[in-house]
Amino acid sequence: MGSYLIRRLLRTVLVMLGISLVVFVFVRSIPGDPAVAMLGERATAEAAAALREQLGLNKPWFFNPANPLDAQYPRYMTALLQGDLGTGIKSNIPVWDDLKARFPATAELSIAALLFALVVGMPAGILAALRRNSGWDNLATTISLLGVSMPVFWLGLLLSYFFAVKLGWLPPSGRLGTDYDIQPITGFNILDALLRGQPAAAWDSLRHLILPAIALGTIPLAIIARITRSSMLDVLGQDYVRTARAKGLTHRTVTTKHALRNALLPVVTVIGLQAGALLGGAVLTETIFSWPGIGSWVYEAISQRDYPIIQGGVIFAALVVSVANLIVDLSYAALDPRIQYS
Amino acid sequence: MKKLLLTALLSTLSAASAATLVFGGNGEPVSLESGNITDGISILVQRQIYDTLVDFKNGTTDLVPGLATKWTPNANNTQWTFTLRKGVRFHDGTAFNADAVVFNLSRWWDKAHPYGFRDQGRTFEIMGELLGGYKGDATAVIKNIVKVNDSTVRVELNKPSSVLPNVLAAGYFGIASPTAIKKDGAKYGTPASKPMGTGPFIFQSWRTGDRVTLLPNKVYWGEKAKVDQLVIRSIKDASQRLNELKAGTIDFANDLTPDSLKSVQGDNNLVDVKRPSFNVGFVSLNNRNTYLKNEKVRQAISMAINKKEIVAAFWNGLGTSNASFVPPVMAWANSSKVPADYKFDPAAAKKMLSDAGYANGFSLDLWYMPVSRPYFPNPKPIAEAIAADLSAIGIKVNLKTEDWAKYLEDRNKEPGFDMYMIGWTGDYGDPDNFYGAYYGSNASDDINWNPVNVQTLLEQGRAAATQAAKAKVYQQLHEITYNAAYRIPMVHSNPLAAARTYVKGWIPSPLGSEAFNTITITGKK
Repeated sequence: MGSYLIRRLLRTVLVMLGISLVVFVFVRSIPGDPAVAMLGERATAEAAAALREQLGLNKPWFFNPANPLDAQYPRYMTALLQGDLGTGIKSNIPVWDDLKARFPATAELSIAALLFALVVGMPAGILAALRRNSGWDNLATTISLLGVSMPVFWLGLLLSYFFAVKLGWLPPSGRLGTDYDIQPITGFNILDALLRGQPAAAWDSLRHLILPAIALGTIPLAIIARITRSSMLDVLGQDYVRTARAKGLTHRTVTTKHALRNALLPVVTVIGLQAGALLGGAVLTETIFSWPGIGSWVYEAISQRDYPIIQGGVIFAALVVSVANLIVDLSYAALDPRIQYS
Repeated sequence: MKKLLLTALLSTLSAASAATLVFGGNGEPVSLESGNITDGISILVQRQIYDTLVDFKNGTTDLVPGLATKWTPNANNTQWTFTLRKGVRFHDGTAFNADAVVFNLSRWWDKAHPYGFRDQGRTFEIMGELLGGYKGDATAVIKNIVKVNDSTVRVELNKPSSVLPNVLAAGYFGIASPTAIKKDGAKYGTPASKPMGTGPFIFQSWRTGDRVTLLPNKVYWGEKAKVDQLVIRSIKDASQRLNELKAGTIDFANDLTPDSLKSVQGDNNLVDVKRPSFNVGFVSLNNRNTYLKNEKVRQAISMAINKKEIVAAFWNGLGTSNASFVPPVMAWANSSKVPADYKFDPAAAKKMLSDAGYANGFSLDLWYMPVSRPYFPNPKPIAEAIAADLSAIGIKVNLKTEDWAKYLEDRNKEPGFDMYMIGWTGDYGDPDNFYGAYYGSNASDDINWNPVNVQTLLEQGRAAATQAAKAKVYQQLHEITYNAAYRIPMVHSNPLAAARTYVKGWIPSPLGSEAFNTITITGKK
């Protein structure tokens, strides 16, 4: 197990290095550079060239014959290995500072969305499997099909309009009402508010979290419900379940003790895969709900061709997904004693 | 836990604080360092914190005293002397004086200034754009910046300019506390710093990606703010800004889409606010295209586009169409020899085209912008309408677009676009800000047309001392550019804003941002 972990960690480092190279080349291959984007309608070819020079973007990518280390990639990597992700071109803010300020917001939203997806999706899938071909099963299948095909931005606006504007139950967007301010400790608003003894602010944060979490969680919910259903059906048809039933165990014991535990394995895999999908979905959800996370930040940076932010954001997101997958792999062993790592 | 939740619930109900004014911005400011950034929301926040040397009269582009009480040129407009307001203090308590002005102007203009932080990515590119370049550049307008005494600063110029005070009144050039800049160093202007100006509001906090909170400046030298707190929220999505307005979670907002006008007017809690127009949306024709080289062809194209109908159809009454490149507030710069409105006459246009030797027409590319701008809120259908009008006289139009950053780059790359949509929102109230930006010697090279007489007139316009003298020059420019028909103005739009009904005293500036110290919110619940 220990050596497995070390090998996995080493592989993660290699993957991260590969990603840094790919994203470096990729962002520079997109036509339209930061200088032009910064100048906007004012962009003339001369002004853009002058700005490009000042920003150091006219330097070669990989190798400068005059001064080998004075090229963009060696400079970037030298800084990166010292933990410096660079500085946003437009804002002059260190990428790491923005990342630190914004990641907890994305994490809070993703966790809430995943919780929502699990709490609703798993029982729905289990119920659908247990009452196969019933009206309930058809309903759950239809809704989950709708869920995966619903565009997030449309669902988000719809939720916001209905629950905030029409019913007035929840705030339309944002992360915290203007009546409150929470000094960050962990960056998780609800937690920080409670730690600071501001229950009202915690409640307000929770109210702000609900709609975006639903919008972001809907697709994972639908996927989890479908996977749970089919996995559960699969397990229920297995010999050992039939044996358990034959031994006279109650329906409840069979489903919870025997079937459910085994049916969960594919669901856990899906959750791991969804970590990446959640980060992707966060781009739209955060933009629609003015949620100050990394999704909306990287999205903005792409349209501005802000290379350091795009690179930093992608590398960090890749790291998060790698870690999530590692955790999933390790939790297999916990769920299924037959799986062992050596 | 139950008790905790109950307390939470109760305190939510009683948490309504009295006089917090909340603005829905279309995004987050990029930086609060003046002189270094040009996006609308950054400038809007800066307008609350900083004052400029010269200011604009509320709701207009006319100059009024700001931190300078007086500004006078020498006889040939090569020197401007600014007399500074006395007794003004920055938010950090330090005194505003000539040293502070010289410090601010110099760090923008002098690439070697020790507090310009250029080695750390600062560019101050707007200074170069509006004033020809930086210290030592052959094209730079400013030659020297001199402290005469504690309350007098003289700016010496390389060439005559009557627009220097107008340029320095633009929202980019707020005067910041030198002490604060020295203290925060290259961090100045980021969320980790405390920007310090002399303006009506004092910076309180900036929650990244979320909001900036400001407090009223109790010792402001001008009109004091009438609210206890000003919050500027970042709400990127235009439909979400409308939702927030309707839900009452924000008090007022800018940049709504023209098609939300009905929805705003149908809501008893909201009033629509039409910002005075200070922009132009136009189509540019490229001289590198064989057909478009021909003046008759360009004029025929102009005559074939039904601008009035297009504006009526796509701007919902939030725009006007005329034959001028400058917005209506500068109508004094228009020539009476040019018709106020374009003539729409497809039959005559078709005849012109046939006179030019293209009786059977031809085809060309029309590029439309992939983004929404105040002057073209909805570019694609507008482009389709133009294409339909042109097909009526035999010109087959291929519609094209691409990502915005690439669009901006490709239009300036040889051979450029045949015909494309673009526009401009002004920075200050002088025709040079429009004609100079698009026809000047350092304008973009997208039409390949740069005649000497236009350049001479632009120089004369910049040097002219009085509005009457300016009018003479720009009227000639109006005639020349109208007849050449390289850039065909389509619209001057009124960007749509809206407010809750209790928001009183908001005076929107044509320039896009204004200080909020005039606003009251009596009756806000």
